[in-house]
Amino acid sequence: MEAPPVTVMPVTGGAINMMEYLLQGSVLDQALDSLLHRLRGLCDNIEPDTFADHELVYLLKGQQGQPFLLRARRSLAHPAAPWHLRYLGQPEVGDKSRHALVRNCVDVAASHSLPDFLNEMGFRMDHEFVAKGHVFRKGAMKVVVSKLSRVLVPGNTDNTEQLSLSSLVELSVLAPAGQDTMSEDMRSFAEQLKPLVHLEKIDPKKHT
Amino acid sequence: MADGMNVGVNLEAFSQAINAIQALRSSVTRVFDSLKDGMKNKETLEGREKVFITEFQDNLQSVNRDLNELERLSNLVGRPSESHPLHNSGLLSLDPVQDKTPLYSQLLQAYKWSNKLQYHAGLASSLLNQQSLKRSANQMGPSAKRRPKVQPSALVLPPQYVDDVITRIGRMFPDMTIELFRPNGTSAVLLVTLGKVLKAIVVMRSLFIDRTIVRGYNEDVYSEDGKLDIWSKSNYQVFQKVTDHATTALLHYQLPQMPDVVVRSFMTWLRSYIKLFQTPCQRCGKFLQEGLPPTWRDFRTLEAFHDMCRQ
Amino acid sequence: MGFTCVCQVPVAEGKSVQQTVDMLHKKLEQLGAIKHGSFWVDCETYHATGNTSGQPTKLLYVMHNSETPLSCMALFEGGPALTADVNFDVLMLKLKSHFQNAKGHKVESRGTRYRYCDFLVKVGAVTMSSSARGISVEVEYCACVVPGDCWNLMKEFLQSFLGANVPELPSVFATKPEGLYAPSDCIDTMTQYLELFSKVRKQQVIPGGGSVR
Repeated sequence: MEAPPVTVMPVTGGAINMMEYLLQGSVLDQALDSLLHRLRGLCDNIEPDTFADHELVYLLKGQQGQPFLLRARRSLAHPAAPWHLRYLGQPEVGDKSRHALVRNCVDVAASHSLPDFLNEMGFRMDHEFVAKGHVFRKGAMKVVVSKLSRVLVPGNTDNTEQLSLSSLVELSVLAPAGQDTMSEDMRSFAEQLKPLVHLEKIDPKKHT
Repeated sequence: MADGMNVGVNLEAFSQAINAIQALRSSVTRVFDSLKDGMKNKETLEGREKVFITEFQDNLQSVNRDLNELERLSNLVGRPSESHPLHNSGLLSLDPVQDKTPLYSQLLQAYKWSNKLQYHAGLASSLLNQQSLKRSANQMGPSAKRRPKVQPSALVLPPQYVDDVITRIGRMFPDMTIELFRPNGTSAVLLVTLGKVLKAIVVMRSLFIDRTIVRGYNEDVYSEDGKLDIWSKSNYQVFQKVTDHATTALLHYQLPQMPDVVVRSFMTWLRSYIKLFQTPCQRCGKFLQEGLPPTWRDFRTLEAFHDMCRQ
Repeated sequence: MGFTCVCQVPVAEGKSVQQTVDMLHKKLEQLGAIKHGSFWVDCETYHATGNTSGQPTKLLYVMHNSETPLSCMALFEGGPALTADVNFDVLMLKLKSHFQNAKGHKVESRGTRYRYCDFLVKVGAVTMSSSARGISVEVEYCACVVPGDCWNLMKEFLQSFLGANVPELPSVFATKPEGLYAPSDCIDTMTQYLELFSKVRKQQVIPGGGSVR
């Protein structure tokens, strides 16, 4: 295997400018089963995945400006699987006609030393939670229905408490920047889930 | 050195004989040349024929003369001596261009090997005759029409007994873990993990070891479908060599009456590989020979040797 | 992946880096080693910009290895190490307000891979800002995973082509001689390269790029 010389590649690889297109909503526990049923019908005919993840949110505070936020996730169901580190940029302002929230996104698979390493880099854990739920796929679109729980004792994922009586529903697509037709597909898919769940473009900034 | 003198005299005659052969050849060539050219252009037909015939006769006479000369010389040369132990092939040693064609030395080597082979085969056959190793049941001959009742042979031991023997052996060696599988029917396949050095797959038939293959500790022993992979060889030359030696060991440790002793001896021998990378060769004192550590373990003393150092 | 040892080889008296590398190649070929492609290892240095705590900042090193072209190894000297996929490079770009890339400090080693029995030998010329600074030799004994077990064997092999320049057991393993060589990542190898690169970085450059030390 001959790899190309490094000098011509300042960044050895990776997708430089990937965007996440996102719609969010929530569903009450009573309606969860009918939503899952509907999704099973609408989405690609593959065995729907369930997952149980532990997410740790890390902050790096600089001298000035916004703190830098990273999300580290590990699977509770598959402890040997690599950790997933995710950077999410600020939502793009501008185009009001766009149907979905668009933000920069970097996904990194990392070894299990990730928490130690982030600490060494100066990151501090801000909060953590456990998410359990289902993943569906339709083409490039991903639908995640998850139940969020608070971790009562730091680091102990067995001792949790549900955050609410509803589940979070997220419809997302990862695509290179500028593929705005995506949001159109997402909107029409979201239409089909009404009235069980209303998926909307939610700006996280307005809620913090 | 009467022989040397004799050769010297003969050489003289030889060179003359060779010259005579050359002369004979050229005169024969002349005959055919003139025959090929046919009759020369002359005034009359008779003239032509006459000239042609005299020429032909002259040529034939010179052939005759040369032939006589050669015959005379060949008597001088004499017969080649037959005292050479390899008979005529011994003459190859006289070939002066020996460096280019090492035929003679190869020939000697081949003789030596075939003699050795014959000797060893003789020994082996007499030994094998003493030990009636009845691996195949087809030894009774066609005359025995009524088969006697099947004797409780070592080939049909209950699986429970095999399990017991293997567990007992496993308990003997703490640095060796033995897992037992029965992928097809009652025959057992053992996966032996020796420290952090190697993994060996041992295919059994009852308590006889049928086949073994050795791989590195970090190599896969399962194929993609999750079954034990008993066929593909190791990627590392070291373990390919160890596999060869382990197969030799299987043939060495044979005691048909007490198969469990055989398995135990084999495992004891295999266990000596725990220091495969840590023990230098007992003969040359080095770790590496042609890039390989000492892969051979003596069957009796379990001492480590390089493959080339063991004799 | 087996036990790997990385060491620095001094440049021969009166020879250039390239000439010494050629000499090593020749010795390996005389042993019977076979050329098996090429390799590279590189290392970028980042330092934290916003130093709030007042302590001296630790340097963050991000390394790549042609053996694992889709991975990226991030290390702190003496600290924790991380193996990630190449998207980590992209993340470092995003982090540039907190971690700055010291461009002039990029060190890399590239050269030829050799195979000899179960050994994998990589002789590389170490360059820093395109000037040759030294020679790295990496030897991997693929068949053994316990460093303490095969160190003597490794030493004998190193002797056969390095002569007197045989190193001591790398300090990465000194603390865990019986330990398993981590099979899935190559952090131990990269730690050794990092030590070598730091040594090379501190060396004085002598005009002509020839001798070292």
